[in-house]
Amino acid sequence: MNRTLSIILRRTVSLLITLSVMSLIIFLLVEIMPGDVAQMILGQSATEEAVSALREARGLNDPVMERYFRWVGGVLTGDLGESIYMKGVTINSILWRRVGHSLVLALSAFILFVPLSIILGVLAGVKENKPTDSIISFLGLATMALPEFVSGVFLITIFGVQLNWFPIVSIIPIGESLFNNLEILFLPALSITFVMFGYVSRMQRSSMIQVMNSDYIRAAILKGMNRKYVIFRHALKNALLPTITIIGMNMGWLFGGLVVVETLFGFPGMGSLLMTAIKTRDVPLIEACVLLITVIFSLSTMITDVLYSYLNPRVRFQGGQR
Amino acid sequence: MKRKAITSILLVAVLATSLFAGGAKETALTTKNIRIAEQVPGLITPGVWDGQAFSMNSSIYEYLVEINTSTGELDPVLATEWSTADGKQWTFKLRENVLFHDGSTFDSQDVKFTIERTQDPSIGHLKKQDFEIVASIETPDSHTVLINLKEARPTFIYQLTDYNMCILSSDYDYGSLGESKPMGTGPFIMKQMIPKESAALVKNTSYWQAGLPKVDALSIYFVSDIDASVSMLEDDRVDVVPFVTPVIQTRLSKIDGISVISPYQEQRFVAMNVDEEPWDDNRVRLAFKYAMDPQNIAKSVTQMELGNGAEYNETPIMNMLSEYNPLPLRERDIEKSKALLAEAGYPDGVTVELFYASDHPFGKELAQTLKELASPAGFNLDLKGYTRDVYLSQYWLNVPLSITGWGGRIDPSMLLALAFKGGGAWNESHLADERVDALIDKISSEIDPDKRTGYYHELQELFYEEGPLLNVQVPYLVAISDRIIDYRQPLTMLPQYKYTDIK
Repeated sequence: MNRTLSIILRRTVSLLITLSVMSLIIFLLVEIMPGDVAQMILGQSATEEAVSALREARGLNDPVMERYFRWVGGVLTGDLGESIYMKGVTINSILWRRVGHSLVLALSAFILFVPLSIILGVLAGVKENKPTDSIISFLGLATMALPEFVSGVFLITIFGVQLNWFPIVSIIPIGESLFNNLEILFLPALSITFVMFGYVSRMQRSSMIQVMNSDYIRAAILKGMNRKYVIFRHALKNALLPTITIIGMNMGWLFGGLVVVETLFGFPGMGSLLMTAIKTRDVPLIEACVLLITVIFSLSTMITDVLYSYLNPRVRFQGGQR
Repeated sequence: MKRKAITSILLVAVLATSLFAGGAKETALTTKNIRIAEQVPGLITPGVWDGQAFSMNSSIYEYLVEINTSTGELDPVLATEWSTADGKQWTFKLRENVLFHDGSTFDSQDVKFTIERTQDPSIGHLKKQDFEIVASIETPDSHTVLINLKEARPTFIYQLTDYNMCILSSDYDYGSLGESKPMGTGPFIMKQMIPKESAALVKNTSYWQAGLPKVDALSIYFVSDIDASVSMLEDDRVDVVPFVTPVIQTRLSKIDGISVISPYQEQRFVAMNVDEEPWDDNRVRLAFKYAMDPQNIAKSVTQMELGNGAEYNETPIMNMLSEYNPLPLRERDIEKSKALLAEAGYPDGVTVELFYASDHPFGKELAQTLKELASPAGFNLDLKGYTRDVYLSQYWLNVPLSITGWGGRIDPSMLLALAFKGGGAWNESHLADERVDALIDKISSEIDPDKRTGYYHELQELFYEEGPLLNVQVPYLVAISDRIIDYRQPLTMLPQYKYTDIK
């Protein structure tokens, strides 16, 4: 347990360093984006005076490092600043609502793809080289090869246009909440499932095959134990470790990187907000979104590492994952 | 065991379906509500507003006058009468009993405030240059305004139709609240805005015009992706989608219940910089013009026939305006083009960089078409596409050949002085021709409309023979549900939703 605690501590320190470096990189990358923010905001009609007045009003004329430390100071106190477009409207008031929506979407996708991928991955693993395995493997490869915008359009055509079972866009009607409109989650969640299914089921399959071919499983079967008991009680536990890693590593993407899916379906989540922020060059909003995604990625990686070390005694007792 | 597993899977499936299912929800409309999918707006405070949120802003704010979409003439809105004897002093009589959404009364001080605000250096007002001509503003009573100009400007009234010139309340803090709580005298009131997501507008029950607006609410969704907006229309989640492309128009033409209309056209100026080689030689400019094929340009760029949605000429005046001089379209003549180029000292052709905004509608299509058309004559166009902000901030106004989008102007003189007069702020072709300058001055100050039209025609003839410009006019397309009745949007780009009804 002490070893696990030490791993958590080391990972936390590493996380803080990562975030500090990333905050500077994010800020500088946004800073060196080509084009002038004020010019973009004001458009073609902008006169030099107008651009200059806007730069002054939004504090864009201050030195870079001064603006960086002001931003970091704000972030540390929970103040992400104001949208460059909307005086008096804080980033917090825009961002967290969208983050909430994205979390619900991610959770829906999680509920769909995790059991499905693991069950079919196990099935393919225990039925190695049999027709069941071939079909599941083919499905995994096919869905993995399809980018989200292709599978999304495919799903829209089948479930939205042909069958008319689900709405083809995932907007929340004005005045209503996401929880009154849960049906809008289905197609985006299924689209994410398409992407994740291939990775997770194939990992589960190969890990299952490896475990099923190990000596202790063979011994258990030769001992005359019930095959199902061996698979579910002995093999599955060990075969889940790599799958957990893969799922954990993708949690960051799932919670913060659904830009394509959200944009395609018009879902009001963090991914589509980031897209909007980039398109409109809303600098404080881009910085806030990217920083939050970095935090989610770092945290999910850290949690995966800790969980892995906790579940795998070899890692725990040998001093952490190398 | 097997049965148990199958039962569990079925149970999960049923639960999941009941969680999500419900099909495309039918919303029971208790009120008349027009739903619009707009682009995500940038700044929306009048003065620094760069467009985008036209549905929202044009419904909340109002102007002294508006364009009648049927006649093209000016209709009274907040001004009931206007007159000028010499084009220099303007008198406006204002409408009485008009209330702002905060309950305050509209009067002449608000008009004075709105115009004087253009000169406030802290705002960076986009109409500052245009209103520098105002010498003084008098308010003899609460509903009369006298505007004295520094020089005669018989078409000054058209400046007040610009979307940044809506009338603001002199008592309201637009500096702090203009972006989050826009407030005017318009037919709709902002009820709720979720930044970057949506805006809910409700009918202004105190609106001065009896019987208007015709609907109870406007629901505006801000959607960053045009394809998602179109999907919303196809799924009956919205009724209006502006800024659609010809490709989308073709797609929607197969769907019942949806129409694509083009309320007006926009301009794409292909400007040759006469300060730089090879465009400093009129023979090269003519050679380029002879290499063009207007029908081909219309079809390739807009997928529309010339004269039926797309237009082309070699002058700064749009074909749809009364000031337009219908000069003959130049026939494509590659041999003549080559000969002119050789005569100008480029017998082996010439390489020129063409700069444009690649993310602006029709930008890259036009650039590619020009390259293909000009190539047989010996023009090797090196395409330099950049995002619009990069193009505008780093290249525009200082490149040899460029494509730039220009909105239409009801009064073309507003644009001529800025874009074609020597020293004009947006003179992208660097034109500094005394004859052109003199004609622009005459156009700006001539009170007699017939004489003014005569000057316009003269100017266009000059451009036809020597001008550094191709003017490709592309459609502005709006997709609407067939339930929408009487959608109006004049050249000012401001939709007039107060007249619009829904079945």
